[in-house]
Amino acid sequence: MQEISFRKDILPLKDKLFRLALRITLNRAEAEDVVQDTMLRVWSRRGEWSKFDSIEAFCMTVARNLAIDRSQKMDAKNLELTPEMEQATDASGPYNLLVQTERLELIHRLINKLPEKQRTALQLRDIEGKNYKEIAKVMGLTEEQVKVTLFRARQKVKEQYLAIDGYGL
Amino acid sequence: MDYKKIEQLLERYWQCETSLEEENALRDFFTNGEVPAGLLPYKELFVYQKEQQIEGLGADFDARMLSKVEGSVVKAKHLSLVSRFKPLFRAAAVVTVFLMLGNVAQRSLFHNDALDYNYNNYRDTYDDPNVAYKKVSSALLILSDEISKSNNLNSADSICKAATDSVMNE
Repeated sequence: MQEISFRKDILPLKDKLFRLALRITLNRAEAEDVVQDTMLRVWSRRGEWSKFDSIEAFCMTVARNLAIDRSQKMDAKNLELTPEMEQATDASGPYNLLVQTERLELIHRLINKLPEKQRTALQLRDIEGKNYKEIAKVMGLTEEQVKVTLFRARQKVKEQYLAIDGYGL
Repeated sequence: MDYKKIEQLLERYWQCETSLEEENALRDFFTNGEVPAGLLPYKELFVYQKEQQIEGLGADFDARMLSKVEGSVVKAKHLSLVSRFKPLFRAAAVVTVFLMLGNVAQRSLFHNDALDYNYNNYRDTYDDPNVAYKKVSSALLILSDEISKSNNLNSADSICKAATDSVMNE
């Protein structure tokens, strides 16, 4: 079996981990901390790397759990996420440079308003291009449950987007 | 591309029945090609997915992470036999120093009480030979008294034992 190297195999996952953490925490600074903590945790278990079927799936699982923990802690601080705040956090990163139209911003907000499971499933499938098996592994669900979660997420985004778009946004 | 096919793909996409390749084809169609008016409302959904794929962290994160991780690595170091026993040598040196200091202290503090085995250093205690003779005779007398006392005691013990034995025999 090929030996896993931190520099070659784990560090390049930083962007994927960051995008997943950002989708869950909705905060760039928190997401970056999550990636850092994830990598340190994975590094501390370097003796077990060879035992994992997929180091990427393991990193994703750790990142997701840490991101959920952090977002729960943020919720506990009673900071309600108002639409203005969501926009304020988005504006701090390069996302704003990429998003040129109001429609893209609307989609961004609609996805981020989904429940965490639906958001994660959508992120892993539509943005990271993972198959159902990999997503099921990261989320600790069956493939069938992943499909159902993704179906609900896509339907909700589509319905809400088309409803708002229908009003001539 | 056949728009009818795209419409079918899109319908299957909403039902989560498309494969990863088919979803990629949809993304390519909506981001690269000419999109007909009927499909235009969905364009941004796929453009958004594509644009989100380039979100990420900068190179400074790599440097920070590597310094944290590689800084904690304990590197293997070659140890020679001498350097391996270095702590032992140090301990032995400390013990030797303490022993030497103890010896010096003992010599300087208790020097007068030490026995002098060099007979050449001996000096006469008395100036008058008569006094010396008397002293020696009295010392020997005391010694002889003590020896005879102990002999008497031994003979008394043997007489007592013999008497006891005879009584027992009778």
